Amino acid sequence: MELIATHGLNFLYAFATLALVVLGLAVVFGLLGVMNMAHGEFVMIGAYSALAVQQAGLPFLFAIPAAIAVCVVIGWLVEWGLVRHLYKRPFDTLLATWGLAILMREVVEAIFGREYQSVDQVLPGTFSLAGVEYPAYRVVLMGIIAVLFGALFAWYQRSNAGARVKAMVQNPALAAAMGIDTERLARWTFVFGVTTAGLAGVLLSPLVRVEPFMGLDYLLSSFFILVVGGLGSLEGLIVGSGVIGGTDIFLSALFDKTSGYLGVLTISIVFLWLRPNGIVSRL
Amino acid sequence: MSDRPQLAIDGLTGGYGDIVVLSGFTATVDPGSTACVAGRNGVGKTTLLRLVTGALAPVAGRVRLGDAEITHAPRHRRLRLGMGYAPQENVVFDDLTVLENLTLAAADRSLDRYDELLDAFPRIGERLSQRAGTLSGGEKKILSFCRALAEATELVVLDEPSEGVQPENIALMTGIIEAEKAKGRSFLIVEQNLGLIEVVADAVHLLDHGECIYSAPAGADVRGELSRRMRL
Repeated sequence: MELIATHGLNFLYAFATLALVVLGLAVVFGLLGVMNMAHGEFVMIGAYSALAVQQAGLPFLFAIPAAIAVCVVIGWLVEWGLVRHLYKRPFDTLLATWGLAILMREVVEAIFGREYQSVDQVLPGTFSLAGVEYPAYRVVLMGIIAVLFGALFAWYQRSNAGARVKAMVQNPALAAAMGIDTERLARWTFVFGVTTAGLAGVLLSPLVRVEPFMGLDYLLSSFFILVVGGLGSLEGLIVGSGVIGGTDIFLSALFDKTSGYLGVLTISIVFLWLRPNGIVSRL
Repeated sequence: MSDRPQLAIDGLTGGYGDIVVLSGFTATVDPGSTACVAGRNGVGKTTLLRLVTGALAPVAGRVRLGDAEITHAPRHRRLRLGMGYAPQENVVFDDLTVLENLTLAAADRSLDRYDELLDAFPRIGERLSQRAGTLSGGEKKILSFCRALAEATELVVLDEPSEGVQPENIALMTGIIEAEKAKGRSFLIVEQNLGLIEVVADAVHLLDHGECIYSAPAGADVRGELSRRMRL
């Protein structure tokens, strides 16, 4: 019983963190049609923001505004200087953001070095959940992610700003005729996407190794989730995170980590082959 | 009212890529008046409106809205400068509710400025929570018409507003346009419905092969004149 509860909590943790990591990529690709190959590097920037805050002797919470500020600035510059010129040119965007990813890794490596580093545990100790002692930080993190997604979903569904984003996606020409500055809206949508990636990096930093190439793993996981869940909806993102996270946790627990990874790859290939639009797709 | 026309189009030329669809179109719309543009399909009517509303960049010519030169103004700024627009196709955001469609440009979801329009078209008011994509073609056109009229703009540009709309609703649209003209608003309307043109137009322009072949103040014989020329 305790084992089932542990694996259940592990599943919830994997599900929540995957959903948080993929959120920005899903927003940028689903709404703007931009496959941001540097998405994982923004996660990395967030993690290094936490590391920099730690090295400066400041409390961990300072890392959140720091990462947001850094990602907003970089995201704004990237959209303004690179991405906005490549909308509706998906292959060019893919290549350009891949180059950006390499550049970001090199810059971080030049500043912080290539070795693995770690951010100190923020909330040591455990909480007792369903008869299991579970790491407190993971529980808090799951709560933060749940609140974040709830707020985002409510904002997107109910606010006029959310309606404007949907209008821009559906019919940019009509949206512009309705007085919506679609260029500005697209820019801030991109900035929002990369900033959520940075936020994910901060929140995950106490739990993972921090190194310049850490973003690649997150980029791959995000692709698998989008392939399985489908593009362009929060529902697809959540379903995809559940399937990918669940498969990984279940097979890893039953066999080993390699089996979990193999299972995720197999499911992604099957979906690409038989259901390329994913389980839930707006397209 | 000032003597300056609400809209002044001077030698407007443009099209798609290297293909020029509209050539040298010139017209003015005075405050409180309506200019109607007629013509068969494919003669450049919608291209004219796309050039005027900023969806296409003109190759030559100028567009003035009141005191403002807007020839190259970004499309989204034209609403704020005083130009409302209801297009011919893809007139609503199908995935948004009717309420979201109506209030998209506003700061909140208030329907105060729609009171009179929703009194005239109660079917729209009854469907506020419904996705706009589920409306009939005619209802979508009415929704688009209401949205363009509700904005406090001095000029309203309508692209075939009566297309697919039931005759009784066309009559209501006509009445609303006349009432708004009386308040000083101006209209530029592309239309093939000669009945509507006959009632609302103060000036008519007939396009053929991208050029204006007939311009005249509206008179008693406008319907016959347009019918005869459009058959040629």
